Amino acid sequence: MSWTNNRSGRLVSGLAPLLLPYLVLFCGGVMLTICQSFGVFTPLPHAGAAFDAYAKILTDPAFFTSFWFSLGVAMVSAFCAVAAGAFLAYRVWQLPAKLANAALIYKIPLILPHISVAFVVLVFWSPSGILASMAHSLGFIQTMQDFPNILYSGWGLGMVLAYTLKGTPFAMLLVLALLVRFDVRQIQTAAMLGASGVRIFFSIVLPRMAPAMHTSFIILFLYGFGAFDIPFVLGESRPGMLSIHVYNLYFKHDLARRPEAMAILTMMFFFAVIFIIAYSKIVQRLDNGVRKL
Amino acid sequence: MDLAVRSVSKRYKNNTIIEEICFDVGPRELVSIVGPSGVGKTTLLKIIAGLDTPDTGRVIYSEPLSKKHPVIIVFQDYVLFPSMTVKDNVGFGLKARHMKKRQITQQVDRMLAYFQLTRQADQYPAQLSAGQKQRVAIARAMIVNPAVLLLDEPFANLDRNLKMETARFIRSTQQEFGIPTISVTHDLEEAFAMSDRIGVLLDRRLQQFDTPRQVYFNSVSQKVAQFLGPVNLIPEQYLSFFRGSRDPAAPASGNPVMARPENLVMTEDANGPGRITEKTFAGHYTVYSVAMKNNTYTVYSQDDRFTVGKQVTLQITPY
Repeated sequence: MSWTNNRSGRLVSGLAPLLLPYLVLFCGGVMLTICQSFGVFTPLPHAGAAFDAYAKILTDPAFFTSFWFSLGVAMVSAFCAVAAGAFLAYRVWQLPAKLANAALIYKIPLILPHISVAFVVLVFWSPSGILASMAHSLGFIQTMQDFPNILYSGWGLGMVLAYTLKGTPFAMLLVLALLVRFDVRQIQTAAMLGASGVRIFFSIVLPRMAPAMHTSFIILFLYGFGAFDIPFVLGESRPGMLSIHVYNLYFKHDLARRPEAMAILTMMFFFAVIFIIAYSKIVQRLDNGVRKL
Repeated sequence: MDLAVRSVSKRYKNNTIIEEICFDVGPRELVSIVGPSGVGKTTLLKIIAGLDTPDTGRVIYSEPLSKKHPVIIVFQDYVLFPSMTVKDNVGFGLKARHMKKRQITQQVDRMLAYFQLTRQADQYPAQLSAGQKQRVAIARAMIVNPAVLLLDEPFANLDRNLKMETARFIRSTQQEFGIPTISVTHDLEEAFAMSDRIGVLLDRRLQQFDTPRQVYFNSVSQKVAQFLGPVNLIPEQYLSFFRGSRDPAAPASGNPVMARPENLVMTEDANGPGRITEKTFAGHYTVYSVAMKNNTYTVYSQDDRFTVGKQVTLQITPY
């Protein structure tokens, strides 16, 4: 028993450099956010009831508009990034070794900060951007203002483009790591059995890539759902992303509204947890066979 | 369908893998190519399957291959699709041919019953034994009625006691479906048991291609004979010490006569030229070592009565 205790003690003390920041910064931060959402530890004394901030938010239609908009942008951009990443990873994996090394260029967007990718999208897709200029030069549009307003169309397409651009190489990286160990003879066997390229991709390759695709989808979706930098550059005011809504409540209104900001953050946190659990359960049920590998 | 392999050679960089390989496979014939590991058997198989191209030579099929009538290779580790159940694995080829669901179910059920896999129909490859995996792989290939079936080391992942049973099963299945089959293996006993003809691949070349009996008892060279099993090399000048030996294979060149341990018959003889020096029980036969004129010969005998030190006479008998 004492041996077990000693061992656990050593393990905890060994992990302390990692656990301590996690406990203080992450758990502490979450706890403080939850507390402030109930009006505890707020800069100003909270006069109302504990659930006041939640009541205000949940009766505000603008919150739900922002929530569904954020959900949509995150969902579409994560889906596009994972789909494009998986397909490109498969194509890179099929390349001869020499070309595959050259294809490492795909990693470039990985090292760019999100804000840079937002500006890349802005520079290319805005009505005064490179694509508009090219379209005008080639005579496709009369004036540069005729270029379709993709970035601020009200659908969040600019953010979707930026998240997809940033997320695709990330998904590729994860999928390629799985494909490295993929036995090419599975494809050869399927081809010998008469399967077309499309059937091989969907029946043989996709199930193999699925675990990495699910992981990257969860990460990209949750990042897109809660991140601030890209919506700050490419977002619109109405509908706005939840992160911008929180920012405005926290910094641009009076201190008395900070519990509302914290209540939104708390709900976003629990939404992320519930999303991960639900997604994993669904995937586990769907991929029963793959899990038996 | 029959096929002919004509002068097939393959090099990787400066290394010649196989050279001038020629043989034929008739319709309904099962051919085994045997050879040590790394001799190029799998390369040859991949060339026949079209997964690799020969540097010279070609593989000629009597009928053109098509997607509906393909060459199918069953790899050494079976390469089942891990995310599909047994029945989905077996039915994959039919699905790829856009066959109707009911027809697929009927054919798959029939195939599973033949291969004794009905109980495993809904299991995944990871839940199967090596023998079951192999049967799934062969069923998956057979269901699309391939032009030629290629088996890469079909016994490599099986337990010793399963190998011969599997060889017999492959033989009976091949006869039942009538599909020309080429197997490459280094499991000689199993290759002998199931094959119509055997090719011996040594030193990059196909040294001999004939019936199993012919290849084993009338090997074209010492190297082939020694690869296929124990062989006694009897110097020509000592041939006369082998009582009553008619010597059908007496070499004109002065090379030693080759005789398998099964070809030597031992008789107790107080004045015999040989003396038993060792006796080993080997299950269904006994292995004797007999010293005679500076040489030691190995004899397999069903007779367990001989004792070490006894004088004996040896006789060569054609098997």
